[in-house]
Amino acid sequence: MTDHRQRSGRRGQGELEALVLSALREADGPATAGWVQERLGGDLAYTTVITILTRLLAKGAVTRERAGRSFAWTPDSDQAGLAAHRMRKVLDGESDREAVLASFVTGLGPDDERLLRELLGDSGSEGEA
Amino acid sequence: MGVFVFLPLVLPLTAWPIARLAEQHLHPRTATRLLTGVAAVMALCSTVCLGLVMVVGTAQLPGNPLPDGWSDPEVRAAVPFDEVVGKAAIPALCAVVAACARTLWRHGRVRRRAHRALAGLPPTGVAVLPDDVPYAYALPGGRRDRVVVTTALLDRLEPAERRALFAHERAHLTARHHRFLLAVQLAARANPFLCPLRTAVSYTTERWADEEAARAVGSRRAVACAIGKAALLSRGTPLATLAGFAAPGPVPRRVAALLGPAPTARRWPSLFTSVGLAAWCAAAGTAVSAMSSANSAVTMVLILRAATPL
Repeated sequence: MTDHRQRSGRRGQGELEALVLSALREADGPATAGWVQERLGGDLAYTTVITILTRLLAKGAVTRERAGRSFAWTPDSDQAGLAAHRMRKVLDGESDREAVLASFVTGLGPDDERLLRELLGDSGSEGEA
Repeated sequence: MGVFVFLPLVLPLTAWPIARLAEQHLHPRTATRLLTGVAAVMALCSTVCLGLVMVVGTAQLPGNPLPDGWSDPEVRAAVPFDEVVGKAAIPALCAVVAACARTLWRHGRVRRRAHRALAGLPPTGVAVLPDDVPYAYALPGGRRDRVVVTTALLDRLEPAERRALFAHERAHLTARHHRFLLAVQLAARANPFLCPLRTAVSYTTERWADEEAARAVGSRRAVACAIGKAALLSRGTPLATLAGFAAPGPVPRRVAALLGPAPTARRWPSLFTSVGLAAWCAAAGTAVSAMSSANSAVTMVLILRAATPL
């Protein structure tokens, strides 16, 4: 946390979201945006914290409930869940991602599934080669 | 020089049978290196050739920045159909440059965005994401190389198959396979005749990683099972191929190769086998392409220098 506070300047969106989410997870129960801002050492503007929380809400990473005149926020997923959500967005947005990221398997053609089951089924009886 | 000046543009056609034979018969590591090298040299030669044709054919157009001497009749005599070809070469060269720039830009963007998506996770070599879509891939990034895999895929694999999956992805990263893939992609943009080489190299890099994984895990069958299971899990996304196209896709071919014996890594195959013939044809085609475009380039430079008033 301390090195985050000391570092100034622009940070990536993902990094800020991770920061706010981890602060929220340190709270005992639902926390307000003001509490989160304080927890982060007043490094971020109140409106920025609200913006990031709203973005996390859209990603299903946090939930909120009305508490008086403001909202109380609760974390719903952890850092990994948030990263998974962001990664899905990156992958869905790139039509030819296969060209960049060496994927473990590519899609199967029309006859490939039958062929694959045959191959794996046949060699199953032979045991280890 | 006559029509030989256009040779580098069509010589990549020799790569088609070679790509097919090399991916079937050569060790995947040899095949990857050979095909990538062939693709890079041929793409470079074809681009040089395109540039020369453009310079000669267009230097006489009014208002262009090239010296008028470059399109003297004797210079133009070196290129057949100079006017038509020269004008056609301008959009072609622009298209090549734009397509290559776009490919590089996209490559950088996907990698940057994927790394940004993982921000906030502990900086480990493997990032396990809780997601119900099964996928896994290697994310290169200098010192921040990472293997990205979802829980949906890991949960369905046996321990040996998981080890095979990680070994496969790590092999991609240690052998820097993304560089080979980027090189053949750029080559295919520079000359569309090289597209079969791109498909072949994306298959041989997978086979290369499969073989490395089989060696690391010590079981070819575990790797085959991991690939088979992963493919059957993610079959919701069909491959965009022609319907009814009978040739088996890359995944069954990889599994079949793993269920067979390990390929032998010979240094350079004999000429008297079909593989050897293919490899030698590839080498000869590349050499002829390189020499003819070098010849064209040198001749052209000499003529242009002679024709430039100093």
